[in-house]
Amino acid sequence: MSARNQHGFHPGAESLNAFAEQALEERERAEVFAHLAVCRRCRQVVALAREAADADMVKASAPPRTTIAPNAWWRQWRFAWIPAAIVAAFAAASVSTHIWLVDRHEREFKIVAQNPTQGAAPASTPPATEQAEVVPPASPAPAPPPAHAAKRTHPAEEKYLTAQRPGLGTTEAPSESGGIDQVEAARETPPLSHAEEQQSSPQSTMGVHGSADSQPAAAAWEAKQKPAEEQSQAGVDKSRRRYLVAKAAPGTGSAPSANQPTPQAATQTGTAAAVPSTLTATLLPATPAVSAGLPSQRRGFLAIDRMHLPSGLAAVSSARSGSIVLAIDKAGTLFLNQDHGNTWERIDTQWTGRAVAVTQPFAVNGALQSAPAAQTGTAPETSTNPGPAPPSPATFELFNDKNQAWVSTDGRIWTSK
Amino acid sequence: MAPSESVASAVETGFPNGIHSLDRALADELWRACDAAQWGLTRDEFDQILLEAGTAQNFGLDELAAPVEAARKQQAEFFRGLRMGDLVLARACARGNERAWEHFVAVYRQPLTRAAIAITGSETLGRDLADQLYAELYGLNEREGQRRCPLVSYRGRGSLMGWLRTTLAQRHVDHYRRTRREEPIEEIDAPALDPPPQTPAHELSLLERAIEQAIASRNAEERYLLAAYYFDEQTLLEIGRVLDVHEATVSRRLRRAASEIRKQILRNLERSGMSRRAAQEALGADPRDLEVNLKNLLQHSQTEAFQEQAAS
Repeated sequence: MSARNQHGFHPGAESLNAFAEQALEERERAEVFAHLAVCRRCRQVVALAREAADADMVKASAPPRTTIAPNAWWRQWRFAWIPAAIVAAFAAASVSTHIWLVDRHEREFKIVAQNPTQGAAPASTPPATEQAEVVPPASPAPAPPPAHAAKRTHPAEEKYLTAQRPGLGTTEAPSESGGIDQVEAARETPPLSHAEEQQSSPQSTMGVHGSADSQPAAAAWEAKQKPAEEQSQAGVDKSRRRYLVAKAAPGTGSAPSANQPTPQAATQTGTAAAVPSTLTATLLPATPAVSAGLPSQRRGFLAIDRMHLPSGLAAVSSARSGSIVLAIDKAGTLFLNQDHGNTWERIDTQWTGRAVAVTQPFAVNGALQSAPAAQTGTAPETSTNPGPAPPSPATFELFNDKNQAWVSTDGRIWTSK
Repeated sequence: MAPSESVASAVETGFPNGIHSLDRALADELWRACDAAQWGLTRDEFDQILLEAGTAQNFGLDELAAPVEAARKQQAEFFRGLRMGDLVLARACARGNERAWEHFVAVYRQPLTRAAIAITGSETLGRDLADQLYAELYGLNEREGQRRCPLVSYRGRGSLMGWLRTTLAQRHVDHYRRTRREEPIEEIDAPALDPPPQTPAHELSLLERAIEQAIASRNAEERYLLAAYYFDEQTLLEIGRVLDVHEATVSRRLRRAASEIRKQILRNLERSGMSRRAAQEALGADPRDLEVNLKNLLQHSQTEAFQEQAAS
């Protein structure tokens, strides 16, 4: 006690401050309490000192509001962020990879590479030297890049659509999914060899293939049609380099002769009636052998840009005869073109069900001519007597999803077969 | 209070030699903990400060008992209960250490001014009050040719800043009370004459005596609560801050104290011969008819308590 009043001594600043800060022992605290009960001056002192302390505390605690509390809630989760971030990164990478794979798959879906092992008879395929001898270089154009490189590096620019004729020896019915399965099946087919290209029918790039060596009539007819085809091919949009190749089954293309049909041809003859067509649209990259070893008219390529179909859908089947090109899109709509893909005309449905394939099976000559002839009852002498004959009018055959067939000569008017 | 005074005077005049001695190991530990060398204190000066602080409070032992030698454990508990850093700084400043003063000014000058402004409620008065105390702390006042520094009275039981605030509040209240006495008495309109009391005088005297006994029987904390709330008109929040309790606790204690006092008054009236009903009716008497001065009553009881302590 430092001050004295009429009641005794006032507690000093030390005691009053210790009292306010709860730093006094019980005995001394009781003494201060007893004094405060009777001393208004000391009560005021304690109250004012406490008020000043609170005001100073408020000022001191107000500014640093931006400081982060040491026990912030997210710090307690700092170890959980690491595995969570890893899982998130892995998930993002997986999704990205999946998207890339799907996109790549779709691209490859369009780019169908022929597999040399499926259906082809390796023994019957001429060696490269032989091909070079047989196939005269008709085009001085530089050879395009290798097939696989073109396929991988520029898939959109290196698409070749090859419509494959119903496979000989195959017994499976056309798929319900139409061209999609056919395209996938065509991916497994090998690319055309020079010999196959050479043996393909000159009149119908889509349809019957024949052996040029054993078919002099066809060779003569070929010579006549060559200028016309060269003229028509000139109009093809070469920048996009999409071509439709009508190709028979691999075994057929390598048949040595129409007079000596291969077992595959014989099998096809017997089964083609039951399974009329498994036309496969095949996208082929331009192999050097194909592009450089064959004249453009012999290759029989026709530019078909599936995106140019009026329906906006991809073509699942197509056939060509002369300047007439028929194409069926995924929806089963038939389109006709006579100006090299520039203008497509939609053909009204004259058949039942959904059209899944269109072919040009009736060739003037060739080994395959006997197959439909045997089925349809037409004269088989065209195959047995391969003399020179004028080309018959173009005849197209259309199949629906129930294996029913319709035929047409101009692509516009269809009659049930 | 007398023992405290005696100890305080002993500190000022020099504590008796041989009563207490510091434990050397404890002094070394405190020397390192306080880093007293930064203020330029020597080890002897530091030991002197420790000894003065310990002797002044008898190392926390019962001051009423005869001075005994404090054991090392007792000394350690005592010094660890003190704000040794603040205490050493205050003593260094009191000794006129320049580095200690520089630190004191850098740390406490602005808070001191803010506290003075908060206490006075005026920036001008607050700055004047702070400057006055600062000059006093610096030792501009001299007594008998010796420099007097109030920091000597700081013993480290509370914070140095709290001690400074309390000192400012003391200065301000003393100044206010001193100047208020010098103010002229305001003219007060004479109130109308009170009507004659309706309660008989005998009952009033019994009631006055019962109230005096009831209030005198309450403990110091309840009397402090009653005085702060009813006399000083402090709010529950202000009282709660002083006691470091919630204002709801203050309210509950006040209600309980008033209820206990009322019951005690009734018991005192019944004990004096009044019936229960008469006692309750007596409680309804107009307070203005009572000649009870509660302030004087509390002061009287407290005076008696202090007198008892002083006598012992």
